[in-house]
Amino acid sequence: MDAVTQGILLIADPTNIALIFISVLIGVLVGALPGLSSPMAVALLLPFTITMEPVPAIAMMAALYCAGTFGGSITAILINAPGAPPAVATAFDGYPMAKRGEAGRALGIAAVSSISGGIISLFIFLLATPLLARIATSFRPMEYFALAVFALSMLASISGKSSLRNLIAGAVGVLLGTAGIHLTTGVERFTFGVPELTEGVSFVPVLIGLFAMGELLNQSQAAEKTLEVIKAVVVKLPSRDDFRRIWGTILRSSGIGTFIGVLPAEGATVAAIMGYNEARRWSKRKEEFGTGCPEGIAGPEAANNAATGGAMVPTLALGIPGSATTAVILAALIMHGFRPGPYLMKETPEFVYAIFCAMLVANVMFLVIGLAGAKVFSRITLIPRTFLWPSVFVFSLIGSYSYGASVFDVWVMLVAGVIGFLMLRHGFAPAPLVMGLILGKLVEESFSQSMILLDNRWWRLLESPIVDLFFALTALSLCWPLISSQLHKRKRGADAAAETTGR
Amino acid sequence: MINRTDVGVAAILLVVCAALYYTTTGFEEVSPLFAQDMPPERFPRMLLWVIVALTLALPFERALRKEKGKVLDKARSKPIQPIVYMTAVFLVLSVFSIQWIGTFLVLVLVCIGLPLLWGERRLKILVPYVVVFPAAVMLLFTRVLGVYFDPGVIGLELF
Repeated sequence: MDAVTQGILLIADPTNIALIFISVLIGVLVGALPGLSSPMAVALLLPFTITMEPVPAIAMMAALYCAGTFGGSITAILINAPGAPPAVATAFDGYPMAKRGEAGRALGIAAVSSISGGIISLFIFLLATPLLARIATSFRPMEYFALAVFALSMLASISGKSSLRNLIAGAVGVLLGTAGIHLTTGVERFTFGVPELTEGVSFVPVLIGLFAMGELLNQSQAAEKTLEVIKAVVVKLPSRDDFRRIWGTILRSSGIGTFIGVLPAEGATVAAIMGYNEARRWSKRKEEFGTGCPEGIAGPEAANNAATGGAMVPTLALGIPGSATTAVILAALIMHGFRPGPYLMKETPEFVYAIFCAMLVANVMFLVIGLAGAKVFSRITLIPRTFLWPSVFVFSLIGSYSYGASVFDVWVMLVAGVIGFLMLRHGFAPAPLVMGLILGKLVEESFSQSMILLDNRWWRLLESPIVDLFFALTALSLCWPLISSQLHKRKRGADAAAETTGR
Repeated sequence: MINRTDVGVAAILLVVCAALYYTTTGFEEVSPLFAQDMPPERFPRMLLWVIVALTLALPFERALRKEKGKVLDKARSKPIQPIVYMTAVFLVLSVFSIQWIGTFLVLVLVCIGLPLLWGERRLKILVPYVVVFPAAVMLLFTRVLGVYFDPGVIGLELF
């Protein structure tokens, strides 16, 4: 209980509250702007927080993560241009509702569903993190290796265009993580005589390059595009009838979102799509979906924000990122000298509870900010891209430089940007590469330690039931695209047969 | 059956993997006792084999996924526009000039050059943007966050 109180006190500091407020503001703005994403914003925020104390630094990132997820729904509803990928499903019903003159109602439903999902998942985070951390303290290097392999296999189904390309990107990320001095032998690997590479590839410039620069080059092709001008909107809280219709959907989607968030690598986008599909499946008014149905907004919004709390669980308890944004937060934790994983909960529980409080405060703040300022935030899309993206470059340049006060890092950021652009063009998502890079050290260290402990007899890995479980899950997650397509085929066949019989 | 663009992508990846594999042969040799039977090249080589195995499937993915595979061609259906190359060259030149003109002037250059390159002609917005934005960013990083920036050969420091 002491740790909880300490965590609350750490966040209750007025400076920290002010910093969380600023982060929420930035998060909603970033979320609302198509092209700018939460991982990009958190990566750009990282250099600002390096000189800060760890609590406000991580609290700012966590707050930005929550608010960024909600911010995307504003433009999804008002102009059918989801500001962030997790808001794609919100546009399916949000935009039709706005088109029939009920934009304020749609925004109100989105805000209330989002905060409900966020808060429910935070309480699950509060209960699950210590529990998972306690289980993980008994893990030996073998179990950690199997867990990391499972997390990497989950990259196959991370939102993107291709499982195969996600896995390649993830493996390339792990390979990138091997650059620098080998811990066991002290031998330099892949340094190519560059002294700056002896300590390995810095996370910050790679993150900024992949998320921000890649998108900048992509956006240069559409610089002259302007978005629709938004009419004035007055946000309305959901009526009693709306509440009656959506509460079940909110609860269900919050559960789905939290579960998806807890799974390594799966983030808010997958959660939102599943939240929408499940809302439709359970609805008595299926035919209304796609025409501006309240459940169609509540489902994805509750799920995508619930995934943020869920994603923090494996990040903090196991040191395995739950999503692309938490991968960046994990990198920040490492830079601030923490060891994410079970020992974080054991040694500094007050820190974990402080993050929980920061996210809770952020959820309440974005409800207020989102409701009061939706009209202003929706106009943010009017910022010309010809000024927005040069500003992103300025922050990217300064951000990647300031981490190590080295121009070399700026070059790394530029190279990562060009690679990120080419990856996006050929269907490779940058998030798996980032996750691979961050998990790389854990994978290699746990593998080496396991092999040393097992006298290089790798088959002895299977003697541990936990390892067997993780390997079985790995096999399942790798085969899931095939299984799921077979299940879909079978379902379509059954539906068609039922239709024919019905006739 | 085989997608030509993906053959190109796979070929590049395989060449890079081969080059990196060759690099691992040049890693310093360590006695097995010291390396505890985990030589420095083992793990990277394992990863390279995994990447190669996955890459070999790449050219067939488009065809195997049939209709769903179309999504892979969406972003690359049109050739890369010249503006992308121009932007990339401009960014590279900007970073290269840090050592000569210093970070602050590079930021000013970016704030003028990139909007103009992307077709921005509204001077009423451009001028205040160029005057205020780079100065504000420098102020924040140098004064508030205490970061030291390279003034370059010219030696111009704003703060």
